[in-house]
Amino acid sequence: MCKWCFKHGIGQKWYLNAKNYSDQLAKELDMEEYLREQWMNFETIFIRKIAGLSSKGLGYKLQMPLVGKIIRWSVERMIHGTIRRPNPIRADGHVGQVIPMEDAKLILSELAAEPIVETYCMCRMMQRGVKTQCCINFGVLSEIIEKLPRFIPKERAHRISREEAIERLEGHNKKGFISTVWYQPVPYINAICNCESPECGALRLRNDFDLMVMSKAEYIINLNQDNCQGCKSCVAMCQWNAIRYIPSINRVIIDYNKCFGCGVCRHACKYDALSLIPRKEFPGFNGHF
Amino acid sequence: MGKTKIRIDYSKCGPNGKIDPRDCSKCLNVCDPCVFLKHEDLKFKEENIYDPQHWKITAVWPSVCTRCLKCVEECPEKAIRIKW
Repeated sequence: MCKWCFKHGIGQKWYLNAKNYSDQLAKELDMEEYLREQWMNFETIFIRKIAGLSSKGLGYKLQMPLVGKIIRWSVERMIHGTIRRPNPIRADGHVGQVIPMEDAKLILSELAAEPIVETYCMCRMMQRGVKTQCCINFGVLSEIIEKLPRFIPKERAHRISREEAIERLEGHNKKGFISTVWYQPVPYINAICNCESPECGALRLRNDFDLMVMSKAEYIINLNQDNCQGCKSCVAMCQWNAIRYIPSINRVIIDYNKCFGCGVCRHACKYDALSLIPRKEFPGFNGHF
Repeated sequence: MGKTKIRIDYSKCGPNGKIDPRDCSKCLNVCDPCVFLKHEDLKFKEENIYDPQHWKITAVWPSVCTRCLKCVEECPEKAIRIKW
């Protein structure tokens, strides 16, 4: 259990605490003004800048002997910032966690605040130039996004009911997108994204620069080695390169260091060989997020 | 691997150039590790806050560039230059 669950989870997972979704909390922290400022200037705040610094060539900056260490420290401090009055221009306290489909469904059916909207994913728009409707936002944030025309899809309805949201999330997950839940800012939760590996800004920082923007899930994958027939269909689904096929034993092997516990590979398995187990029950990786 | 330098000529592509990055975006599409970022031009930020009109492309993550040079080939204006 990490510090987020201690502070905001009342003894369970942080994203299962209904208080973190409430409109009352948003009002208390004056979220509306903060989020409006942030989302109006989205393209200049997220990805392009990090902790107020230009993120251009961040990989090289982090490799510099002393300056790199200072940058890493200040970025980590910004990402995990829990300041009472966060600065919208720096995007303080925007951290997320990978969640399996079951938990995402639970959030959408019971915890998420109305109204729920499904908008274009900005990471894919900015990094890949494609418009994919897959970001599910709720609460105060959805009312703000609705006023910004560049986020709003034209071909499919964007304001959706709980049942529709669950249905669409299931569709995204089966396609191979990873569900993630987001603080924006701590402790207010208002988004479930459906991410992809190189495009997502958070996964870029986590996988390539080792900054803890996105945590691994509370679960880890478990392979039933007897059931695996070596059909390799799960290998194509994994966004983390954590599954590999070994011809001599005719089954797949899993790199648990790379597995984020999203559970997307389960949808491809026809032989019931893959299942998710809580990270706590996996001795070597208990507490590795 | 040493440092990769990616230069984009903004007189050919961007707010002052012939093509709008929003219509083209070929370099973004062709890049496997997603080095490029399409974003609002910081200079024109104040103009239309609800729907920005001025966009440009920056190579933000040159450290993950694999030097395949596909973006250089693909660019219709030949605005990208890569040096290492």
